[in-house]
Amino acid sequence: MSSAVLTAAPARAERARRRRRRDRRGHLVVHVILSVGALLMIAPFLLEMLISVETFAEATAVPMTFIPHVWRWSNYSDVFSAMPFKQMMVNTVLMTLARTAGQLVFCSLAGYAFARLRFRGQNVVFGLFLSVLMVPSQLFLIPQYEIIHDLNLLNSLPGLFLPGIFSAFGTFLMRQFFLQLPREVQEAAYIDGAGPFQTYWRVLLPLARPGLIALAILVIIWSWNDLLWPLVVNTDPSSMPVSAGLATLQGQYLTNYPVLMAGSLMASLPLIIIFILFQRHFIEGIAFSATKG
Amino acid sequence: MAVLAEKVRSAERPGKSRRRRSARKRLEARWGWLLIAPSVIGLGVFSIWPIFRTLYYSFTLWGAFGGHTWNGLTNYRTLFSDSEVLHALRNTLIFALLSMLSVPIGIVVSALLNRPGLRGLGVYRTFYFIPVITLPAAVALMWKFVYNGDYGPVNQFLKLFGVHGPHWTSDPSTALYAVAIVAIWSSVGYNMVLFLAGMQTIPRHLYEAAEIDGAGKIRQFFTITLPMLSPTIFFVTVIGVINALQAFDLIYVMIGKNNPALNDSETIVYLFYDKAFVQSNGGYAAAIAFLLLGIIIVFTGCQFWLQKKWVHYE
Amino acid sequence: MQSDESPVLNGAAEVKVSDKKQISRRAVLAAAPAAMLMTAAACSSSSSSGTSIDSEKKQTGPVTLTYGLWDDTQLPAMKKIITEFEKANPKIHIRTAVTPWDSYWTKLQTAATGGSAPDVFWMTLAYFQLYASNKILMPLTKPIKDAKIDMSQYEPAITKGYTWGKDIYALPKDIDSIALWYNKKLFAEAGLRTPTSSWSWSDLLNAAKRLTKGNVKGIAAQLSDQQTYYNMIPQNKGYVISGDGKKSGYDLPASVEALQFLTDMINKHHVSPTLQQMTDTDPQQMFGSGKIAMYYGGSWESIAFKAIPYALKNCDVAPIPQGKVRKTVSNGLGNVIYGKTKYPREAWEFVKFLGSRRAAEIQAEGGAVIPATHGTQEAWVKSTPQFHLQTFVDEFQYNYGFPISINTPVWRDYATKTFADAWTGKRPTAAVAKDVAKQMNGALAKEPSRPA
Repeated sequence: MSSAVLTAAPARAERARRRRRRDRRGHLVVHVILSVGALLMIAPFLLEMLISVETFAEATAVPMTFIPHVWRWSNYSDVFSAMPFKQMMVNTVLMTLARTAGQLVFCSLAGYAFARLRFRGQNVVFGLFLSVLMVPSQLFLIPQYEIIHDLNLLNSLPGLFLPGIFSAFGTFLMRQFFLQLPREVQEAAYIDGAGPFQTYWRVLLPLARPGLIALAILVIIWSWNDLLWPLVVNTDPSSMPVSAGLATLQGQYLTNYPVLMAGSLMASLPLIIIFILFQRHFIEGIAFSATKG
Repeated sequence: MAVLAEKVRSAERPGKSRRRRSARKRLEARWGWLLIAPSVIGLGVFSIWPIFRTLYYSFTLWGAFGGHTWNGLTNYRTLFSDSEVLHALRNTLIFALLSMLSVPIGIVVSALLNRPGLRGLGVYRTFYFIPVITLPAAVALMWKFVYNGDYGPVNQFLKLFGVHGPHWTSDPSTALYAVAIVAIWSSVGYNMVLFLAGMQTIPRHLYEAAEIDGAGKIRQFFTITLPMLSPTIFFVTVIGVINALQAFDLIYVMIGKNNPALNDSETIVYLFYDKAFVQSNGGYAAAIAFLLLGIIIVFTGCQFWLQKKWVHYE
Repeated sequence: MQSDESPVLNGAAEVKVSDKKQISRRAVLAAAPAAMLMTAAACSSSSSSGTSIDSEKKQTGPVTLTYGLWDDTQLPAMKKIITEFEKANPKIHIRTAVTPWDSYWTKLQTAATGGSAPDVFWMTLAYFQLYASNKILMPLTKPIKDAKIDMSQYEPAITKGYTWGKDIYALPKDIDSIALWYNKKLFAEAGLRTPTSSWSWSDLLNAAKRLTKGNVKGIAAQLSDQQTYYNMIPQNKGYVISGDGKKSGYDLPASVEALQFLTDMINKHHVSPTLQQMTDTDPQQMFGSGKIAMYYGGSWESIAFKAIPYALKNCDVAPIPQGKVRKTVSNGLGNVIYGKTKYPREAWEFVKFLGSRRAAEIQAEGGAVIPATHGTQEAWVKSTPQFHLQTFVDEFQYNYGFPISINTPVWRDYATKTFADAWTGKRPTAAVAKDVAKQMNGALAKEPSRPA
């Protein structure tokens, strides 16, 4: 056996070397393909940045202007005078914060209860929640609008976030996460005399941090980009989030592409920066929601 | 530890233990309901009740200034003879089908990224993922410029080869495809992340064994990666189809009203929005929403039925 | 402001509380003061709202009215009018609520349903009958009579448009017309004489052919009812909607011929950009940058062209070329009062001021729109001396009111959407027109009948 190993060793080393060489050549091909793809992914953004500092004439010139004559940074400040952009950004941030906070609290509470407490009727309620998950959100839209209207909350911040602080999906996600945690932890807490809420608050919630982060990231992405609901409830430009603002006001400022591009960049940038900073959490959160959700 | 707890419990006197256990149960029941109460109320008011309300509305006719009257099945009957709805239905299905191209693209990209020893994974992942988290309204505006028939970069590029490109988003024959390309572009990154996660759970030794058998990378991809990845592919496809059937943002911003291509590119949800919130015809819009639900159920049902044939679970 | 007017309170009281039409009409027709008093008493007793407005009980505390409008380019002029009004009426404050056009009507409809529409708001002809027939608006016939407002001071096309049954519901705010904007520089380069008032359709087409050169097109045959076919159809002795509002005229041979004239300019003569092109880039923008030599444009666009240096230097405006007859369509806004306003008396005071000569003058100086009041339009003409804006005012001699029915938006939107097939050349114009007429007749048949 040992002699066999000895004689095989040079051959294996040779094979490994050959494979490494092949791999390196393969890597090069792969890099070329992936780079072309990556370029396709960000080329529109590069173009957008370019247009955002050109004049209208340069942006619409044939052939294209690659280097603007003068870098018109004033397009960026024009965004603020062309529409209530600052207020719209504030609306987006506040709406997203409220929805995220709401879902973190309500979904983790309910998710814990469904996963770790036994009580009568829980299966029926959970089944109802699951059915909500299956239904497209358009089915809720008209009555939701009527509720917000009746509460006199049209064109207000609470109107924007109120329905979005509850989520069947979030509850389901948190339940799956709590189910994953070892049961022994809970048992131990019980023996120590902790009640159901204390167990949740002191023991399980800290352990559920990755789940909470995943949920928060999903809610932030959804909320920041949400268009249909804001479009329906907040028709007053100064009460719109920036998604609806760009979508509706483009008609009025369509003629001024550079300013629109500057506005689009500023509206998307915060989320892109957050993504780059917390990339690992984003990727893990999304993968988690898919495997568990 | 669990065993220990069990022992402790059974060591107690039966009567006392039962009492304690039932007290515990009552406590759990009380807390259980208390903890789910906010979600039950919130979802009850904003989701469950609205489903029934919308169902009721779908049988009513709305007046211009409030009030609705029972209308029987008229809305549903109109639905299937309304050329606008039939157009929207056709557009939605084509759009959903086309946007599913992001699944094979996502698989290929993640398979390339998954090569052991490949440098720059993080950088690539960032680039591919940025479109996913970019504001759809901003994405749509950006692409609308890219597609502009007179000075958009796409047509300027085609011009280099002597091709006179169409007005992509205003031409009835191209608008839907132009929008679908944007949908694919913005979802490849999402799919890639999920496929990468799926691929990383495939045991390395399977590949090593195949390597020893002399199987090339391509062969390994088809005999190991694809079958092992099939549950993820199934999940991504199901979610992707459901999302694509609800397409709205891109159509609203890139096409919009007063566009000659609207008839050939408006989707079910766009039509729903237009009927419900522009034309104040909530009854008919409610019927459209239920049509959408029906389509989603049919498509998802079919996929679950078909999965037996191709999805491998361990 | 006419300060010598008698108080309008009695009239307003009746108008306000009488949601039921018969009563208000009876009140309007009643000649004897005694009968009027009795009617007023009957009305106020049947009224559920507590704000009765007989002349003795004046609203004492300060009142804030909401004024709904959509065009923020007119906001400065409106603010100026409001400032003057508030100075004269220190107890009434006006809060403006600007909603962009796209959501204005959706929002107003919801608000009117929920009883919370603005006290006073802008109305356009296309939506007027829908609101009047659903009793959302307050009839103004009586207060107008009591205040002795001379309705002949306003453009008749607008006054007529805001009449429903026997009542008038708005004081006209502004008026517009369509004329032919043209590029002097491009005309000179092509060796053409500039358009005159005697131009016919064929003169226009011939000029368009000669002006089409390289990437410049002769004209924009827009798919825009008010700017194009609402003018060409009656010019060719066709009509959009019959006088009784019951029948579509789109399938008349004369109407089809007029539509064909437009679509041929795109698909046969190639003197206009395609509809796809005009969707990608606004024709107004193309004209303003010299890519189009002629453009059917509204009086309201003068302020946009004035803001583009190229257009201000090279462009001007001529009368709209005539067909078999001279015609142009006129739309115009009116200021209306919400039927359920809590402050009908104050709202009427405000509307009366908005309809006054002074308010018209302020609007005219602003330059955004032509006031509907005769004798104040000169100031608008002078607001941009570089263009011959008098052209638009002269056209009022042969204008006609915007074609409307009770539910105008339904068939109007359908028409625009469907005519796209003719404009892109997908289907023959005649076939599309027939299709639109059929759909429009169906929509008209569903409308409730008009009051006698």
